[in-house]
Amino acid sequence: MSTQLADSDTQTAGFTRPLLLTPAQDRGGWLMGHAGLAALMLVTATSVVAVGLIFVFIIREAWPFFQAQGFGEAVSGTDWSPEAQGQERFGMLALIFGSLYVTAGALAIAVPVGILTAVLLSDMVSFRVRQGVKPIIEILAAIPSVAYGFFAVLVLAPLMQERFGLHTGANALNSAIMLAVMAVPTIVSVAEDSLWACGRELREASYACGATRAETLLKIVIPAAHNGIIAAIVLGMMRAIGETMLVWMASGNACQIPHPWYDLTQSVRTMTATVAGEMGETPKGSTHYHALFAVGLMLLTFSLVLNLLTEYLLHRARRSSGGHA
Amino acid sequence: MNILVRKWTDKVFTLLAVLSVVLVVGALVGILLPMMWRGGGAVVFRGTVEFRRMQLEQFGRGDSAAVQAEVDQAYKVRQRAYEILADFAAGLDTSDLQTHVRQLHREFGEQLSNRDLPQGQAAELKKLSKELRDILLSALETDSKDQAMEALDAVLPHAQDPGLKDTAASAFFDVARKYKKTIASMDLKRRSEFAQPLKEVRDSVRNLLGPSPGESVPAVTMQQYGATRWDQATEHLDNLLFAETWVSAGDGKSLVKKRTPREEQFAGTALAELFPYVRNNVRPMLRPQWTFYWQYFLDDNKSGHYFGGVGPEIIGTLAITVLAILFALPLGVAAAGYLVECAGDTIATRVLRMCINTLAGVPSIVFGLFGLAFFVVYLLPRLGMPEGSSIVAGALTLALLVLPVIIRASEEAIRTVPRAYKEASLALGASRFGCFMTVTLPSAMPGILTGLILSMSRAAGETAPILFTAGVAMGPIPTSLSQPTRTLSYSSYDMAVGDKMAMLAPHNQFGMIMTLVAIVLLLNIVAIVLRSRISKKLRGH
Amino acid sequence: MQLNWRTLALALLAVAAAGIHQSAVAQARAEKAKPTLQIEGSTTVGPIADEFTEAFGKLHPGVVITVKKTGSGDGIAALIDGRCQIATSSRMMKLEEFKKAVEKGVVPVTHTISMDGVCIIVHPSNPVKALKTEQIKDIFTGKITNWKDLGGADKPIVVISRDTSSGTYESFTHFVMGKDKMFEKVEYVNSNPQAHSRVETTDGAVAYVGLGFVDAKVKALEINGVAPSKKTIQSGTYAFSRPLFMFTNGYPELGSPVHAFCTFHLTEKGQEIIDAKGFVPVTNY
Repeated sequence: MSTQLADSDTQTAGFTRPLLLTPAQDRGGWLMGHAGLAALMLVTATSVVAVGLIFVFIIREAWPFFQAQGFGEAVSGTDWSPEAQGQERFGMLALIFGSLYVTAGALAIAVPVGILTAVLLSDMVSFRVRQGVKPIIEILAAIPSVAYGFFAVLVLAPLMQERFGLHTGANALNSAIMLAVMAVPTIVSVAEDSLWACGRELREASYACGATRAETLLKIVIPAAHNGIIAAIVLGMMRAIGETMLVWMASGNACQIPHPWYDLTQSVRTMTATVAGEMGETPKGSTHYHALFAVGLMLLTFSLVLNLLTEYLLHRARRSSGGHA
Repeated sequence: MNILVRKWTDKVFTLLAVLSVVLVVGALVGILLPMMWRGGGAVVFRGTVEFRRMQLEQFGRGDSAAVQAEVDQAYKVRQRAYEILADFAAGLDTSDLQTHVRQLHREFGEQLSNRDLPQGQAAELKKLSKELRDILLSALETDSKDQAMEALDAVLPHAQDPGLKDTAASAFFDVARKYKKTIASMDLKRRSEFAQPLKEVRDSVRNLLGPSPGESVPAVTMQQYGATRWDQATEHLDNLLFAETWVSAGDGKSLVKKRTPREEQFAGTALAELFPYVRNNVRPMLRPQWTFYWQYFLDDNKSGHYFGGVGPEIIGTLAITVLAILFALPLGVAAAGYLVECAGDTIATRVLRMCINTLAGVPSIVFGLFGLAFFVVYLLPRLGMPEGSSIVAGALTLALLVLPVIIRASEEAIRTVPRAYKEASLALGASRFGCFMTVTLPSAMPGILTGLILSMSRAAGETAPILFTAGVAMGPIPTSLSQPTRTLSYSSYDMAVGDKMAMLAPHNQFGMIMTLVAIVLLLNIVAIVLRSRISKKLRGH
Repeated sequence: MQLNWRTLALALLAVAAAGIHQSAVAQARAEKAKPTLQIEGSTTVGPIADEFTEAFGKLHPGVVITVKKTGSGDGIAALIDGRCQIATSSRMMKLEEFKKAVEKGVVPVTHTISMDGVCIIVHPSNPVKALKTEQIKDIFTGKITNWKDLGGADKPIVVISRDTSSGTYESFTHFVMGKDKMFEKVEYVNSNPQAHSRVETTDGAVAYVGLGFVDAKVKALEINGVAPSKKTIQSGTYAFSRPLFMFTNGYPELGSPVHAFCTFHLTEKGQEIIDAKGFVPVTNY
C-alpha cells in the first residue's frame, strides 16, 4: 500500500511534500533521528560511566591496603590506630559498628514516626492538608546537614549534659536523633507514595466488611504496601549511613564499641566521619591513605547492596500492585 | 473482639499518627527557628558607635563628619574612665610602658641605620641603647622599689650623652623620670596583689571601649575596636563589673563559682570609682542604636569573620551551584528523555536505572575524594586548566551529585505529559526526536524546573564534595572559573572547625548558617509553589 | 534536519561553549602572570596565615592569596605535588613525606614562624591544678578514670583528644604518650575551638589545646610544676613547647611574594599579629 497521498490531494491541500516520508526519501531526517537516539543513549550512559569511574577509582586506591593487610584483621579488629608509629592497626570493626549503631538508633525513631506520618497523610487527612504538610516535610529534607550539625552541637549536646546529666553530649544518641530527623522525610515520601498506590478498592472492600480504620490500615493496607514501605526504610537507612558532616560533629568520634553495647549515651565513631576527618592530614600514598579508601569502599558496597535491595523490592511492589500509578 | 476495644484501638492509632506529624513539624520548627532567630541577630541588632566607626574605617561607609562627631562625644565621656584606669595602673601594670620602651629601642636602631655613621660608632650606640633598654625593663618589671630606684638611677646619667640626644633614645629618660616619680609614693608590693585583677579589668575595658586614644594601634583589626554590638558590650560590661573566681568548697570537691563585684575587690583604691562611673555612663560611652545591617549579605569579612558579612561566600555558592546545574541539566534531561521514550524494559535499562540509583546513594565524602583525584588531579590539567582547586572542578563534582535528582524529577515530569499531546504530534508527522523536543519537553518544563530548583538547593548545601575540590577558607572573590572560591557551606564548616572566631563571634556563625538555610528554603518554597501551580493546572484537565 | 532557529541556537551554544573554554584557558594563563600565592595546611597555623594575608593585602596589594585549612599532612602533600607554594604545618615533615618530596624533585625548606605550647585544660571548677606527665598519660590510657584519684571531686574523667590527623595530636602523642595508645573511650574532636567548648561545658572534661585557646573559661594545668605562658614556652621550660612551621619548595626568591610571606613573622607587624593571636613569637622583639 502506498503511503503517499495522490499528487492531486497534495496539490489541493497545499502541501509541498508528502506527509510521511520513507527513510529512502528522507535520508537526512532518518539519520538525524537515529543519531539523536544514539546521542541520547550515550548521554544517559554518562551516569553509568560516572558510577563505573567512582568504583574503579576507589577500588584502585583501596586495593593496596587489602593486599598488604588482608581482609581478616581489617574487618574483625577493633583497634583503629593508623598513626601509631610502628604499631599501626587498622581494625575497622568499631567503625562499622558505629555506623550501624547510629543508623539503627535513627531508624528506631524514624521508622515508626515516618510510617505513622505517611499513613496519616495518605489515609486520614483531606487532600488540602496533605498538600500543605508534604512541602513542610520536604523542607526538612532540604536543610543542609551542616545546619543540623550546628544544632546538634550547640543546642542538643549541652541540653543532654545539663538537663539529663549525661557526662557527654556528643554521643550516639545525639547522632541518632538528628539522623532520624534527616531520614524521616525520605521514609515519609516513599512510604506515602506506595500507600497511595494501593488503590481505593482495597480500602473500600475492607471498610465494607466492617473494619475500623485502624484495622484496615494495620491489617490490610500496610501489609499490601509492605514492599514499598520496606523500600522506604532502606532508603532512609542509606541516607543515615552515608551522612558525613552531622556525625562528624555530633557523635564524639570515640573509636570504641560501647560497654554495654546498648548504651547509646557513649561516644561512637562512624565510617564517614573517619574518612572525612582523617583524609586531610594523611600523607598521600601511605597505608593510612589506602586504609581510608578501603573504608570508603566499604561504604560504597553497603550503599550498592542497599540499592539492589531497594530496586528489587520496588520492582516487586510495582508488579504486585498491578501497575497502579 | 469487643467493639469497644476495636473503637479504642482506632482512636489510639489515630492519636499516634497525629503525634508523629506534630513531632515532625515540631522538629522542623524547633531546629529552624532558633537558628534563624540567632542568625537574624547578625543583620538586625543594636550597634554601638564602635560599629559605626568600624564601618567607616574598614568599609568606607557612613557619613564621616557625623561619625566623627559621635566618636568625639563618646570619647568625652570615656575620658574620665581612661584617666582613672591610667592613674591607677601607672605604677602597677607596666606592660604598656615595656612595649613602649621596646619600641623606642627599635626606632633608635632604625634612625641609626638611616644616619650613616661610621661602623664602630653605630654599633657602640646600639649596644648602649640595648643596655639602657634592658635596665629600664628590669626596673619596670621588678617588685622591689629599691631595685627599681637603683636601676633608674643607673639609667638617668646617660641623658647627657651626645650620641643619644635628639633621638628616639632620649625618650628613655623621660620614661625613667616619670616612672621614678610614679613609684616614689607607691608600694610596689601591691603589684602582685592586684596584677591579675588589674589585667582582667584592663582587658575588659579594652574589649568594651577599644584601645585608649594614646595607645598604639594594634596589629589585628579585631582589637582595634571596642564592642561593636550592644549584646557584646553587655557581656564585657559584666566581665568588667564582676569578678568570677572559683573557690574551694572543701577537699576533694569541685570548686564553686563566686561572683564578687569588682568594687569590693578594689575597695579603698583609686580604681574603685571606675566601676560605678562606667556602669552609669556606658550608654553615652557607646551610644547603642538599632541597626539594620543589610549589607551583611554584600560585605566581605574582616579579621576572620569577626567583622563584616558573607557577600563573597554567597557569590561563591551561587557561582558553583549555577555552574553545576548548567552541567547537569542537559545531561539529566536527555537521560530522562531517553529512559521514558526510548528505553524498553530490558536488562540494559535496568542496569542504567540501577547505576543512577547507585549514584544517588554514594556518600558525599566519596564524591569529594573522587572529585579531587579525578577532576582536580587528572582531568582538568589535561584540558589546559591550571593545577589546583577551581570552581569548575567543584561544579563538576556537584553536577554528578545532583544528576540523579534531575533525572528522577525530569522522568516524573515527562511521564505526566498526557499521551494525547505526543500522539497528536506524531500524527501530524513529526519525527520522534522532533516530537520530544517541540512538544513533550516544553510541556514537561515546569516539572523539570521544579527538579532543577530542588537540585540547586541540594547543591548549595553540600560541603563534603567541595571540601577538596573548590573550597578555600580565605581568598579573593574569583574572577575566573579556574580559581577556587569561598562558599557558605565551606565557611560555616571552617568557622566551626577553625579559629577562636566561632567562640568570639557566634552571631556571625549563626548568620552564615542562617543565610545558607534561607537560600535553600527560598529555593524550596519556589519549587513547592511551582509544583502546586502545575498540579492545579493538570488537575484542571 | 531543518534549518530553523532551534538548530541555529544549538550551533550558537556549541560555539559559545568552545569560546568560554578558550577564554577560560586564556584568562588562566593571564592569571598566572599575576602573582598568586597558594597556602595550604594546618588548622592550628591557619589563623596566623589568615591574618598575615589580610595584613599583606594592605602592604603588598596586587598579590592574590588563597588559604586552605584542611590539615598539616594535606598541606605538605600539596606542596610536594606543586599545588601550593607554602604549606603551613604544626609538625615537622615525616621521613616518608621527605622521601616523597625528594623523589618529586621538591626541596622542602623549613621556616619556623612561631612557638606554641600544648596546654592541658580542664573545667574551672576542677580543683586539680597541676599534674605530672605520667599522670596525664595514665588519664589518656585509661588507667585513671576518676578525678578523685588525682585529688579532685568524685567525677568520671571525660577524656577529649584532637583527631589523629591533627598536628596538635601528633605533638601531644610525642610529648606524653610515647609508644602507648590512647584507650577506646577517648572522644575525638576536630579542632581547637571544639576541644575548648567541650571543656567549657563539661565539668569532668580534660583536653589539650594550643596556648591561644587558654582563656578565662577554662583552666590550664601546670605540668611538672611549670605553668604555660609565653615566657615559659619561649624559654622552653614548659614541657610541651613546640614550634610551628611553614614549608616552601626551596628557599623562595628574595623579593618575591612567597619570600615576603615567609619572612613576615620576622617583621614587627608579623610578630604583633602572632602575639595577638595567642601564639609565642620566636624572638623577643
